[in-house]
Amino acid sequence: MSNLSPDVLVIGAGPGGYVAAIRAAQLGQSVVVVERSELGGVCLNVGCIPSKAIITAAALKERIGHADRYGIMVGEATVSMPKLIEWKAGVVKRLTGGIGVLFRNHGIEHVAGTAKFTDRKTVSVETDDGPLAFTPKHTIIATGSRPIEIPGFAFDGEDVISSTEALALDRVPDHLVVIGGGYIGLELGIAYRMLGAEVTVVELLGGILPGTDPELSKVVGRNMKKRKIRTMLSTKALGWKKTGEGLAVEVEGRKGRLEIVCDKILLTVGRRPNVEDIGLAAAGVGQDDSGFIGTDMHCRTNIDGIYAIGDAAGQPMLAHKASKEGIVAAEVIAGLKSACDWVTVPAVIFTDPEIASVGLTEAMAAEQGIETGVGKFPFAANGRALTLDHAEGFTLIVAEKETGTVIGVHIVGPDAAELISEGALAVEMGASLEDIALTIHPHPTLPETMMEAAEAALGHAIHIYQPK
Amino acid sequence: MAYEFKLPDIGEGLVEGEIVKWLVGVGDTLGEDQPMVEVMTDKATVELPSPIAGRVSDIRAEEGEVVPVGDVIIVIEDGSGGSAAPSEVTKSADEQAETAASSEPEPEPAPTPVRAPAPKSPTGRVLAAPATRKYAREKDVDIRQVTGTGPRGRVTRENIDQFSGAAPVPAATPIVALETDRIIPVRGLRRLIARSMARSKRTAAHFTIVEEAHVDELVRLRNVLNGDLREGETKISYLPFVMKALVVAIREFPYLNASYNEELQEIILKARINLGIAVDTDAGLSVPVIHNVPGKDFQQLSSEIAGAADRARAGKSTTEDIADGTFTITSTGAHGGLLATPVINHPEVAIIGIHAIRKKPVVRNDEVVIGHVMNVSLSLDHRVVDGMTGARFLARVVSLLEEPGRLIASLR
Repeated sequence: MSNLSPDVLVIGAGPGGYVAAIRAAQLGQSVVVVERSELGGVCLNVGCIPSKAIITAAALKERIGHADRYGIMVGEATVSMPKLIEWKAGVVKRLTGGIGVLFRNHGIEHVAGTAKFTDRKTVSVETDDGPLAFTPKHTIIATGSRPIEIPGFAFDGEDVISSTEALALDRVPDHLVVIGGGYIGLELGIAYRMLGAEVTVVELLGGILPGTDPELSKVVGRNMKKRKIRTMLSTKALGWKKTGEGLAVEVEGRKGRLEIVCDKILLTVGRRPNVEDIGLAAAGVGQDDSGFIGTDMHCRTNIDGIYAIGDAAGQPMLAHKASKEGIVAAEVIAGLKSACDWVTVPAVIFTDPEIASVGLTEAMAAEQGIETGVGKFPFAANGRALTLDHAEGFTLIVAEKETGTVIGVHIVGPDAAELISEGALAVEMGASLEDIALTIHPHPTLPETMMEAAEAALGHAIHIYQPK
Repeated sequence: MAYEFKLPDIGEGLVEGEIVKWLVGVGDTLGEDQPMVEVMTDKATVELPSPIAGRVSDIRAEEGEVVPVGDVIIVIEDGSGGSAAPSEVTKSADEQAETAASSEPEPEPAPTPVRAPAPKSPTGRVLAAPATRKYAREKDVDIRQVTGTGPRGRVTRENIDQFSGAAPVPAATPIVALETDRIIPVRGLRRLIARSMARSKRTAAHFTIVEEAHVDELVRLRNVLNGDLREGETKISYLPFVMKALVVAIREFPYLNASYNEELQEIILKARINLGIAVDTDAGLSVPVIHNVPGKDFQQLSSEIAGAADRARAGKSTTEDIADGTFTITSTGAHGGLLATPVINHPEVAIIGIHAIRKKPVVRNDEVVIGHVMNVSLSLDHRVVDGMTGARFLARVVSLLEEPGRLIASLR
């Protein structure tokens, strides 16, 4: 029998919701979590985690292709998608199972069903055994987001697919057309190219990875070209039809209309918050102009006792932002004085090479009238990058000119996503260039580029020549 | 059987109270002694518990409403049979029907919050580690107001401690870019402040005198005393010195410790010296009163001020805390500007403003030297105190602060 009046009801068990539930339980609250699908949400089941599993395999396949360079002679590698998907599913299962165990240990009740506010104080949940009416003291909305469609392309799970299906294909497509050159499209597009597919990326805007500093995306663009991924910029996808040869995608670009024949269409043009069917109006919960649930620094909505976190509560739609907000919401409910007061939310993109970013870019700082000093250090001058045979890209540090306070770190290169946390700590702590330059970084490692970029900003990097 | 709960007289001679917040709604089940409602009287907010167990069948006063003592504010059904107890306040059938119809007024939802943009510019940002920022929140310190003493102006944990122990300073307006006009109903403490300030300005004939005090001796003496503190003793601020100087001066000028009764056209000289201390809180200005100041020593005053200020900031001032003040001190501290024209705390007739002690060039023996200077502003009600009297009072207070030896000699 469910506890119908818990201290905290969490709607959604993604990286925002499940973290909020655990934190609330740690703080002595009785917690019920409602999830209509799987524990772990998009992130664990059909997002971050499975895509990284596939990207890992794809990179290995590519690497085997030139293993002879290191004196390792192997025959041509072939790919068994079912085997890869099985391994990926195992990883996912281990993680989601872990959440179930944590829930049990914390006494968190998991209700499978679909939740909806019927009024300010009541959340009705449709379960297989019928409806339940919860009257929790506090409710945390953590319903996440879903991929959006564009006219002429409706998801059918077969020909036109979203990232969800792209993570469970039974074979590598011959020709994959990716519509939308944002980070999800490029991560999967590059991975499928590495697995052997021909890949075409169609992007409406004039550059790939909109919102990313062009200095960084340029390096990825160059590598895509090297891999013979066709990128069509300033090009609009109009529609598609089945023909004898396969799927014909009609696009219109600078040079007029043309048809691309392929056997799979992956649509990755963005995501929208899941806020339509949860009874926000009945509860009186307000939304902002972009449709996200409006919240304050404490994740509170305009209605007492109702909180919102993660993708449902605004940009950036990133799992780690959702988790932190989940912790803040749970702590605020328990009476702690927590707030979303971070300086920056790191962003990582698992293209090849990876891109990772925290804080301000030079351009953003200039817009705010901040004078900057920057230091840039190429991976080509880093010993570990060369021995990894992965030496494209650079580490860039942006600092406030007058004080040397680090305000941004941007990396494109090997393991950039793993390297960025040092930058995040520096920005959050308000470290100075000297703090980083004077910290001994072990040799030979990739993070040495962080130290040398700081030195470069100060004018005295060792491993690149800086004329006076 | 329905139990009609009437607003009780919760303070001495209370005539009305403002419903600040209902903690229960119609249909809720109540336990005996369960808090039902927050009611504000004067400047204290109290929770009223339910005298019986039962179910709420009607709520008759809305949040923000000012209700006379004796009015029914909530009806509780105790579940037993029988007819409703005859009530003193019987409403007509029509009125009752009307109340029933609007029995559960859906409160207007608050405007949708807009997340203030994260501090985007390091120049607009406070340089502090995440853990320090958290510590500041826990201490209720607005870190943007703290001057950092670390490298590049970094705010340290010690800076937060020092700041939270310092005199109350006005809270900075949160930096939130408003996209549309916002209407904020004047309720609770804000309404009380608005009313009493306007009343004071309407009735009292305000005038203000300002003097500067050279307090090098006082600074030295305080440092000595704080160096001698024993375990568990509160650090002594300048306030107890000011309070003691006021006690001495008030005894010589009793018209400054008085109230003015407009109705009876009478001036009442107060025998007791109870000093109100203006405290800035999140909800607004609050003035807890330290009673019987002559009978307390420095250490007692220090800890009483700290206790009363903490309760005021937490919104937990008791009725006693804020009652029976005879004279008010507003200590504006570092952010209070050079001078002020404090508004008298009605129905008192005088308020003194104590400003930050700053190092300034002063002339001593025909030489310019660095001295500690504190500005003092005194607002008076000219109906009771004339300019010359006020100036002499202020000069006396200043002389006592400048020569603490005199202050000690004058204490009885």
